[in-house]
Amino acid sequence: MVEKYSSRLYWHIRRLVILHEDADDALQNTFINAWRSIGQFRNESAIYTWLYTIATNEALTLINKRKRNSAVSIEDLGSYFENSHEGSTWFDGDEAQIKLQDAIMQLPEKQKIVFTMKYFDDITYGDMSKVLGTSEGALKASYYHAVKKIEKILGES
Amino acid sequence: MKKIEKIPDENPFKVPDNYFEEVNRRIIMATAGDTPPVKETGIFRRLRPYILTAASVTGFILLSYVAVRYFRTDIPDSGSGEIYAANYAESYINEIDLFTLEESASVIDLPDYVSGIINSDIIDYLILESIEISEIYEQL
Repeated sequence: MVEKYSSRLYWHIRRLVILHEDADDALQNTFINAWRSIGQFRNESAIYTWLYTIATNEALTLINKRKRNSAVSIEDLGSYFENSHEGSTWFDGDEAQIKLQDAIMQLPEKQKIVFTMKYFDDITYGDMSKVLGTSEGALKASYYHAVKKIEKILGES
Repeated sequence: MKKIEKIPDENPFKVPDNYFEEVNRRIIMATAGDTPPVKETGIFRRLRPYILTAASVTGFILLSYVAVRYFRTDIPDSGSGEIYAANYAESYINEIDLFTLEESASVIDLPDYVSGIINSDIIDYLILESIEISEIYEQL
């Protein structure tokens, strides 16, 4: 299970929390929590969807904890991308990708999750609905608005 | 084409070399000595199917009993059915006779010595004194 899903889950978490160190922590917590609650898995969904749910919750927990501790602010994360060309961070994108990541970070939290799941992971709305506990219609609307918002930010930059 | 689609979709995030091999190893080691807790089933959970079956059967019996008691008419014991019918018939006959009597009285020319007595007085007398119609017929 770890070898099969660790990569996909890591990249999902990483796109939400941005920092590699945070993603590493969240990934380990995901599998440890999954292992401990494996008895509660009822086969009502695919195991990947279940793991995805745990990973999303771990990422959100970490983001909220970060906000409370004020250890890393949004501005710090913004400079994380801008400084990437200096090779000091685990980010190696061109200017367009830096701007995209900046725009994504400006989205409301839930919308950011919906956008990254759909745009980068190509998760179906059905699976997304199971992970996030939101109706498919609401998710489609959220994704649509996220795209519009990002395009507006990219157009202004 | 939308602006967002012009952006290359290569993953801009990077990880240290051999990161996934190392993190897999760490996770497996972290969970190796950790046995998932076995969910103990309480006594109520184990007996639940039997309790539910017993409750269903009891509920069904109770409902049947209530339904029978509620919808059952008061049918007398066997043998008294005929008497009940006879009583009903007798009172029916008596009612008919009183009605007939009332109608008949209206066309009877009463003798002078009974003048002043109106028909309804006669009928009221018969009812109040519980005089059976059959007794009158016997006198006639």
